[in-house]
Amino acid sequence: MTGRGSGPALARAAVRTVRLLAIVVAAALIIAAAPVSLVAGASAALAWLRGWPPGRLYRAALYCVPMVVVWLAAIAVATRSAFDVAAAPQAAWLAMWHRGAAGSYAQAAAAIAPAAIPVGLAAGGLAWSYRIRSMDTGTGGLAPDSAVAFDLRQWRHQARSARARIAAPGAVPLTTRSGDLVAGAVIRVVGHPARPIASIPYARMRSHQVVVGTTGTGKTTLLLRLWAGFMATALRRHAAGQGRLPLLVVLDCKGGADARRIADRARRVLRLAGARSTAIWPDEASLSLWALPPAQLTSTLVDLIEHGTGAAAYYADVMEAVVGLAVMAPGGPPASAAEFLARLDPGWLTAAYSPGAYPSGEHEAELALVRSASRQIGDIALRFRTLLRRLGGGLDGPGGFGDADAWYCILEGTAEISVAEAQARALVDLLASFAVGGQAGGGREILLAVDEFSAVSRRLPVWQLYERARSLGLAVQVSAQSWPGLAADDDERYRIAAAADGGVWLLRTPYPEPVAALAGTRKVTDTERPLIRTLVWSHRGTSRVRRAPAVDPDLVRALDVGQAAYIYRGGVTYVQVKRLVTAPAALPPPSAGPAPRPAAAPPAATRPPRPLPDASPLLDEAFGTEPAP
Amino acid sequence: MIPAEGTSGPRPGGDTAGLLFAAEMYGVQLDHLAVALGVTEARARRIAAGWRARRYAESARLGPGGPWTWLTKAGLAACGLPYAAAPPALGRLAHIRAVVAVRLALESAPRYAAADGYWRSERRLRARMGGRVGLRQHIPDGEVHWPDDAPVPWAGECWAVEAELTPKTTTRTVAIMQELLTRTGDYGCPAAEIRAAGPPRHTRVVYLCAPPAWPTVARARAALGAAGARVEIRHLPPGAAMAPAGGTS
Repeated sequence: MTGRGSGPALARAAVRTVRLLAIVVAAALIIAAAPVSLVAGASAALAWLRGWPPGRLYRAALYCVPMVVVWLAAIAVATRSAFDVAAAPQAAWLAMWHRGAAGSYAQAAAAIAPAAIPVGLAAGGLAWSYRIRSMDTGTGGLAPDSAVAFDLRQWRHQARSARARIAAPGAVPLTTRSGDLVAGAVIRVVGHPARPIASIPYARMRSHQVVVGTTGTGKTTLLLRLWAGFMATALRRHAAGQGRLPLLVVLDCKGGADARRIADRARRVLRLAGARSTAIWPDEASLSLWALPPAQLTSTLVDLIEHGTGAAAYYADVMEAVVGLAVMAPGGPPASAAEFLARLDPGWLTAAYSPGAYPSGEHEAELALVRSASRQIGDIALRFRTLLRRLGGGLDGPGGFGDADAWYCILEGTAEISVAEAQARALVDLLASFAVGGQAGGGREILLAVDEFSAVSRRLPVWQLYERARSLGLAVQVSAQSWPGLAADDDERYRIAAAADGGVWLLRTPYPEPVAALAGTRKVTDTERPLIRTLVWSHRGTSRVRRAPAVDPDLVRALDVGQAAYIYRGGVTYVQVKRLVTAPAALPPPSAGPAPRPAAAPPAATRPPRPLPDASPLLDEAFGTEPAP
Repeated sequence: MIPAEGTSGPRPGGDTAGLLFAAEMYGVQLDHLAVALGVTEARARRIAAGWRARRYAESARLGPGGPWTWLTKAGLAACGLPYAAAPPALGRLAHIRAVVAVRLALESAPRYAAADGYWRSERRLRARMGGRVGLRQHIPDGEVHWPDDAPVPWAGECWAVEAELTPKTTTRTVAIMQELLTRTGDYGCPAAEIRAAGPPRHTRVVYLCAPPAWPTVARARAALGAAGARVEIRHLPPGAAMAPAGGTS
């Protein structure tokens, strides 16, 4: 019995001895390389505290290379010996111990620093990388929930670092030197390159985007930042001759006092981004529906009126014919609502198409149409009179989208849904007409941002808006408070989300799963190992690779105010959004690229001032002379 | 309009001008009213009493110095002005007084009278905004319009006038100056009338500063660069400051 049992016991004792020996050797190495160990430990601890990725420590080690080169060069110049240069680390190490033993700790640190700091940083990076990997795969930690606690703690550290970064003045500019838009500081990335600043190329602002986030999560702050970034970058590109003038059109489909407050903020941040004028529709600016091409005007006017089905279809046909007659009358299309309503009269239409002014028979068909529809023309006029009165003066001109750099259109989708639906339809038609150059001043780089469009999209489904925008070269940014708010049904929602080739911004929302699923999955390693007793794990276990969602819906549900997940191409970047304040936006210094050409029409303030006549006599008379500073 | 018993409206001449002046400036203190009417303070007090009797105006001692006079709803209606009747806000008394002093000083200059300049008050500008003032960033304390055929070199210009009693931050002051200097459209106009590359509305901006505000305004003007040449800075005229508490009326 004794002989059979002594074999395993001896083996266990041998293993323990080897382990002990390895620990002793490792401890001796750590002590011998104390400076490197200290730097490695400190850097790994700092990375843990700040939630840095290991790459940051590797980069820091690389930044030390010039210091090492200078140090070695100095030794080479002083000793003129290649052997001394090669032996410099060892000499520094010995010098460190000697000076340390003599009590000259500062000199000891100075002697070893050029060699120890880069090596220590690299070692710290490796140690930190090992720690992260072991936690990710479930092989690290003492307690069963160590990996979960580690992840949560790291999220807190990363979020704290990101908040500190956006609070630092000038650390998060509105755009980068290369023209990318900066949204804020990166908290964490999954499947995207790890960078301290979250930036997206301008091209993505020229593609469709989706923004989902409930009220109070910082959605407006994010949108304002994106809009300001779009405006600043596009204006700079235009000034450099690389793009057309930008036009930002925002359709706020909720309306109310909140919309007006946001409009005010939008105007302020856009002005700081370089927009010279922001029109707020319909409060302060108007557009002219009557500037549409006649055929489009007819179609838009008819679509503004709700039609029924069945017998009502006949009535719709009559209405379309009458509206066409009024709009296409020989004298030209109407220029205002009043003129249009005046034309919805059998007498006016008959006179307009009467044979007296034209060769006989030229307008016979139109006159026949007027005669046959004469009984309905009064009803049609009544319906349009009511509609145009309810629409208000906002669409009755004067004005067009080309008059301002940005338009903030407020639709009362909450208070007056039917009116807002009609307005939305008309605004989109006007913008489409403007985009194809139907009005003077077309040819702009247009970003159409629609918020809660589903509230007013009964007559113009969002996917249809997407399709139209795509064909017209417009970029559409759809934002909603929730997944259901994106569109009327799931088919439409998925259609919108799938077409968002500029990325999806996801803020805190109670049901993020459908949007989170768009990021796809990633490979993760799960490890199972038995717990032998408290805090002691077996060295045996199994690992398997499985696919996990790239975006954790629970993490999205727990996002704080101002935090957003940017989903793009199967990866996600969690961002702490930097709020734009009314102080001048931090723009980076001009790049070293080609010098930008002056814009075709520089703002009045930047134009060389013409010499003003001297008004001092009057001012001196009234207020005295201007004293010297 | 509901005139008081036995009256049919403001009397022509200085009486009407005084009413309009008080209406445009939100309210006016007795010493300034006397200057505006070109009469003594005692006479101005009687005139104000006459307005009160006709229910066109109210008077009260709102702060240090003499009593303030402002127009009632009936008074504003009699003048045909679409303003909301309210006494001058207590927090703005010092500012209102400073702006009144600026206007009086400017209007007393012979060149102003010769050129037939026209003062467009902040209250009028706000009224043009039609209750949407919150959506605008800054409205000047007044505008001075010079007729095209005025016999002065600056004929046809429009000036923005700012009275600065206390210093703002330089950044904010720069932003205000830039806004005033780059604005192209009228206040309350449709955006369609605002031309991005159009000529600026305000040819120049005149800042009248109390001594504490002077350095900030001067720094802000310097920060504007070449555009700063369109900013004139002068000290507030005498009589712009509120009388110290307990001072004479």
